[in-house]
Amino acid sequence: MPLSQEDVAGIADYARIALTGDELKEMTTYMNEAVELLKPITEYDLDGVEPTFHPIGDLSNVMGEDVVDDSVRALPIDVALKNAGSSEGRYFRVPSILGSEEGDR
Amino acid sequence: MANFDQLSAAQIAAGVRAGDFSATEVARASLDAVDSREPQVQAFLEVSSDLALEAAERTDQARARGEELGPLAGVPCAFKDNMHLVGTHTTCASRMLENYESTFTATCVRRMLDAGATPIGKANMDEFAFGSSTESSAFHRTNNPWDTTRVPGGSSGGSAAAVASGEVTVSLGSDTGGSIRQPASLCGVVGMKPTYGAVSRYGVVAFGSSLDQVGPFGRRVEDVALAMNALVSPGRDPLDSTSQDCPVDFLEHLDDPIAGKRVGVVPQLMEVQGLTDEVRDAVNGAARALEGQGAQVVEVELPNIASAISAYYVIAPCEAFSNLARFDGVRYGYQEQGCATLAEQTSLSRAHGFGEEAKRRQMLGAYLLSSGVYDTYYYPAQQVRTLITQDYERAYEKCDVILMPAAPRTAFKFGELSDPTQMYASDMFTISNNIVGNGGVSVPLGLGRDSGLPVSAQLQGPAFRDRMLLQFARAIERAYDASGIVAPDFAGKGGDLA
Repeated sequence: MPLSQEDVAGIADYARIALTGDELKEMTTYMNEAVELLKPITEYDLDGVEPTFHPIGDLSNVMGEDVVDDSVRALPIDVALKNAGSSEGRYFRVPSILGSEEGDR
Repeated sequence: MANFDQLSAAQIAAGVRAGDFSATEVARASLDAVDSREPQVQAFLEVSSDLALEAAERTDQARARGEELGPLAGVPCAFKDNMHLVGTHTTCASRMLENYESTFTATCVRRMLDAGATPIGKANMDEFAFGSSTESSAFHRTNNPWDTTRVPGGSSGGSAAAVASGEVTVSLGSDTGGSIRQPASLCGVVGMKPTYGAVSRYGVVAFGSSLDQVGPFGRRVEDVALAMNALVSPGRDPLDSTSQDCPVDFLEHLDDPIAGKRVGVVPQLMEVQGLTDEVRDAVNGAARALEGQGAQVVEVELPNIASAISAYYVIAPCEAFSNLARFDGVRYGYQEQGCATLAEQTSLSRAHGFGEEAKRRQMLGAYLLSSGVYDTYYYPAQQVRTLITQDYERAYEKCDVILMPAAPRTAFKFGELSDPTQMYASDMFTISNNIVGNGGVSVPLGLGRDSGLPVSAQLQGPAFRDRMLLQFARAIERAYDASGIVAPDFAGKGGDLA
């Protein structure tokens, strides 16, 4: 059954991508075409076939010493904040998470 | 003296070492070529002149102090704009990251610079690497240096065009479904996707984490081998848990004869719909050329390969949706102003920061990962991945490498493939190798008989046999007069070594 515009609106909400009416219409057409392209996957008898989630199948966990090596990857706070749209002191600044009647503009 | 675009990477490094010219002179020549050629090519999103001249000066000072120089000393290099390099932006050709300043340097970039390469700039790409033509870049198109009315391929189109136009000697790209091999083919240069894990992905903006692999472009197989050495020789990268030790010297055995080795061809693939006659005939010609050097051509089967594109368009969008969830407009990236709630800010930042194709892929991934749908597509796609892997394992019992086209056709016109799912077929020959994680290389075969545009063969090999792939690529290069060629409209335009 093809995806309806309502279905696609639900997916957009879940994906956190606000789509306008026209975009929803185009996206619905695309999604149905793309899903059609995937059909061969559904036509296999795959009983007993193990999935391959990763191309290096025989990888095992690499254990390391539990030591902090800040010299390698930790970003200083000023560097970590420099690409943020809004920040305050040592923190990223975001609007209200739960929302309020006046909003937090 | 010659234009720098006529020199191989090894010749530039040797010349710098011998004092025939300085790294600074080569850097200036490359920047001069960029000035002259870039208005027509538009391969770059950012030219890093200051970084280039600083790096070149460091190389020259090291030489003056009598220090040993790296194997890429003074070699001009471009980096795809999904690779972090401190001192440059990393935009992924997206409005989302238009103002993003790199906060660290990717391991692949660091290793090229440690080997002595000069960073000329950041190359254009399809937005977040979603595409096969570089048309989805949010900033500008990149023109194919062989015909500027046509696309360079993609997603690493800028990296391919910068090398094909002779603006730089080598470049790095990334390949999730063919994004190095397909643009290399359309631009007539050598492009290598190493085996998954051979090259660190640390600092490269993730698209499909089980598929992405970084690799080099060059106008000669030897240049690509030199770049591969720089990328792998320091060993596995502790910052990328999937990176592997790959302890081989890609220059060693590069010129060994291939006599007695077996080249697999897949008859079913040579009849596939969409493959043009000129590409098919050229690839068949490459098989004969390898046969002429004593290789044995054998027929092999890959029965499930027709499903690779379907498996890919399940796996890749799911991984992309997961990876691109980090673009929430909070820590970095475009941020919508004046929103009442965080949820509204996130949804509007993503709606206005991402371009159309980036939204499409994420929407598809979000759908495929949703409850109930997962079992219909995602899990079976990973099972089909097993079948395709087994196909390749059986094929490599009968042959050392597999020869096939890199792209179904030569470079197409801008706007010609306007339907997204039609564009997806551009990667029909490259995608299966990402699914299984093996290495592949695209090698020029000269110009197509009908289109007069570059045509390439693709060589695929078993995991971690990438050195052997380059040995075969070198054998093809020997048979064709296509090595080291700069696109004729751009060769020699700016870039003379004084």
